[in-house]
Amino acid sequence: MSTLRVDEVSVRFGALVALDAVSFTVEPGTVHAVIGPNGAGKSTCLNVLSGVYRPDAGRVYLDDRELTRLRPHHIARLGIARTFQNIEVSGAETVEDNLMLGRHHLMRPRLAATAFGLPSVAREERRHRTRVREIADFLGLSAALDRPAALLPYGLRKRLELARALAMEPRLLLLDEPVAGMDGAETAEMADVILRVRTELGVTVVLVEHDMGMVTRIADRVTVLDFGRRIFDGSPAAMAADPAVVEAYLGGAPSSTKEPA
Amino acid sequence: MSDRLNRLMPKAGWVAAVIVLLALPLYVDGFWLSAGLVAMAAAVGAVGLTLLVGAAGQLSFAHAFFLAVGAYGYACFSGEPGAATLGLGLPPALGAALAIAVTGALGLAFSPVASRLRGIYLGVASLSLVFVGQHLLHNLTGVTGGFNGRDTPMFTLAGFDVTGSEPPVTVAGVPFGATERLWYLGLVALAGAGVIARNLLRGRTGRALRMVRDSEVAAAVLGVDVRRSKATAFVVSSMFAGAAGVLSALALDRVVPDYFGLLLSVEFLAMIVIGGLGSVGGAVTGAAFVTLLPIVLARYSGVLPLVADAGSGGVDAAVLARFCYGAAVVLVILIQPDGLAGLGRRLRARLGPAVPSLQEST
Amino acid sequence: MSNLVELVINGLSLGSIYALIALGFVVIFKATEVVNFAHGSMLMLGAYVIAATHGRIGFPAAVAAGLATAATVGLLIDRLLVSRLRRRSHTALAIVTIGVDIVLGAELARRVGTEVLNMGDPWLDHTWRVAGFTFPVSRLAAIAVALVLIVAFAALVRYTDWGVAMRAAAEDAEAASLMGIRLGRVSMVAWVVAGVLAAVAGLFLATFPSPGLSATASTTALRAFPAVVVGGMDSLSGAVVGGLVIGLAETLAAGYSEQLLFLGRGLGDVAPYAVMIAVLLWRPTGLFGTRELSRV
Repeated sequence: MSTLRVDEVSVRFGALVALDAVSFTVEPGTVHAVIGPNGAGKSTCLNVLSGVYRPDAGRVYLDDRELTRLRPHHIARLGIARTFQNIEVSGAETVEDNLMLGRHHLMRPRLAATAFGLPSVAREERRHRTRVREIADFLGLSAALDRPAALLPYGLRKRLELARALAMEPRLLLLDEPVAGMDGAETAEMADVILRVRTELGVTVVLVEHDMGMVTRIADRVTVLDFGRRIFDGSPAAMAADPAVVEAYLGGAPSSTKEPA
Repeated sequence: MSDRLNRLMPKAGWVAAVIVLLALPLYVDGFWLSAGLVAMAAAVGAVGLTLLVGAAGQLSFAHAFFLAVGAYGYACFSGEPGAATLGLGLPPALGAALAIAVTGALGLAFSPVASRLRGIYLGVASLSLVFVGQHLLHNLTGVTGGFNGRDTPMFTLAGFDVTGSEPPVTVAGVPFGATERLWYLGLVALAGAGVIARNLLRGRTGRALRMVRDSEVAAAVLGVDVRRSKATAFVVSSMFAGAAGVLSALALDRVVPDYFGLLLSVEFLAMIVIGGLGSVGGAVTGAAFVTLLPIVLARYSGVLPLVADAGSGGVDAAVLARFCYGAAVVLVILIQPDGLAGLGRRLRARLGPAVPSLQEST
Repeated sequence: MSNLVELVINGLSLGSIYALIALGFVVIFKATEVVNFAHGSMLMLGAYVIAATHGRIGFPAAVAAGLATAATVGLLIDRLLVSRLRRRSHTALAIVTIGVDIVLGAELARRVGTEVLNMGDPWLDHTWRVAGFTFPVSRLAAIAVALVLIVAFAALVRYTDWGVAMRAAAEDAEAASLMGIRLGRVSMVAWVVAGVLAAVAGLFLATFPSPGLSATASTTALRAFPAVVVGGMDSLSGAVVGGLVIGLAETLAAGYSEQLLFLGRGLGDVAPYAVMIAVLLWRPTGLFGTRELSRV
């Protein structure tokens, strides 16, 4: 089990400070939510954790391993998977092939053997397809395996992206607004799936979310950001009573700055 | 029953196509075989380019350069030693293999540029290879023969001439000369190129490339080394171009710099777009269309209205062909983005059994 | 020494012509995200119309006709093709312009054939001697005209509604569209302006010391691509700087070709591309291009 530690991370886009010395620790086996109003820096935070942005200051550690200097594919190979707010799946590919992409880093890179179609490559491919079908089963996607991803309804595409992340066999799962655009029933289902991921697969979950109801229901711990600064870190119960959080969510004027995607 | 028929149909189609291609030298005269050879050489190159442009989404004009490297590389490795231009006198098969390897190595040398650029920047940057290549082909006269080029060395395999007529072979009353023999070499090369490309596209490599094309960031967080993937696509595609270069050199008998200009790169792009980006079969079809069209038009210019004689200043076969494939490129992007391959798929889907609609899973 | 000064002036002149081509290219890219591979053909078309009509209607009218034709073709590409392909990938858009270039280039190459067409310009092969240096008048005219056009263009971008709209669209087309900016008009004007700039460049590429308009002009026009890449594909000032850098590189390489003979003949033609590769290795988005936020 591994701990993710975010230590004084700052990110600037020109004059805009997207993250201002933000720190928090994600304990293994928990669901950790990062929330905040629009433009608070949530997505930027996820981009730093997955290596897409390099912070201007501060560090991120997975146990003792520093992640800050690593390129994203390297971080992915350490067992950190993520999803995107605006679903990034290959629409033309089937659900199964999308899931196979999650196995990329678990398969051996054998260009020549693949080119000449050696039987060992086919065997490896079959092994991973078996595992991918299990994961599809776990998330209720089995019936859709042969369909192009673009033809799935929105809710299922969201779920496909989660399944693809799980196909990477991650230790840590970063979810960027997993229930954005979903109705109440879909949200409840997704919340249930996330909890099962944590309990049945033992994966630590970091969740960037808008939906307060969902966060208070499933998160073990919450970090609240506002204008790039951390204004709260603690249990969901304590958050509801925290004056700074209440101020940011209810009292403060809605921020108009566009969040860098 | 009809279900089984539907599954057998494509296989039967393949078998028929292979039989026709194998038997063609018995029935078709040398002119069309030569034209077919040029098309096959182009098809090998187009299959490689569709890996790079179609699958990985990296636009490249460098293909003509890599074809030149393959063609001249073969001429150097297997050329006669002691002639005016460099020749190492290696066995032709070895020379061809080395030429392809050198093409790959040059692709690798350019990959620090290629792998760091987003698709469209690579498109512009790759222009440089065509012009640097032209400069080298014209100036390295000791290797390339300069403006006038150099002859392609004979291709023999264990004492059997592939581009000659020793020992003599006659099949069903048809004497098999250089063109007929080369035809089969072309078929083998094309089949090999097609199978390799399909294997790559269907497996781990192809999935990663397509994801890089759709979203570099998403590919990276899935553990795909984006730069490495792009570099791989670039190197593999240049090796296909190298093989196409060797075949072109054999089909044309002589290699000259002007053949490997920007126009050739543009033609290759037209081939893969018309065929349908990312599709192996489409690349082959597109290659046949773009290379055979001017030949067919020129052959029948006497009968066809509107086609002027070459050099008359009117719309001759070459110009008309360029009008056609240029317009085809525009039309494909506008109305049928997956090209002829997509058209084929759609037709098959219409003829085949209706796909049962899936139940929405929850 | 005198040689160097003349070469630099000639290089800046050629560079200012490349800058005009590059500016048009960049403004199209900024406004519509299209990498216009038909740019060379648009230039060639403008120059061809001037060459073909000046005998009948006189040079000034011929120039007007040339500019108008190139602008019209730009407009047609925008209306008939680009505007129908919004939200498609950069590659698809670029490929459409390659298709246009194939057709237009084939027709122009056929019409020009192996001839060298006179542009009918008033500068002929006149030269201007000053302090022991000799400069072709047409080159000086190119610098002057380019300077005026670049300043006018900068004013257009900075002060007009179109300029503001174009820059907003380049930042974020979706947001600009939500704020009421008509992307269609932004894109139309960009293509028209690019056509005009390309035709002017075409005129000067075909005047002295070039013997006239020949089929190779489109190859020369391609050297504006290195200019664009060196400057950075989305930077207007980069286009000007890149144009000058490439013009200088080409002219100096050609001017000192005797000393550089070990690099082969025709070095001037290939120097722009060598410079481009060198810059790209150093900075993948050019000297002034926007750097990528994400690293992958």
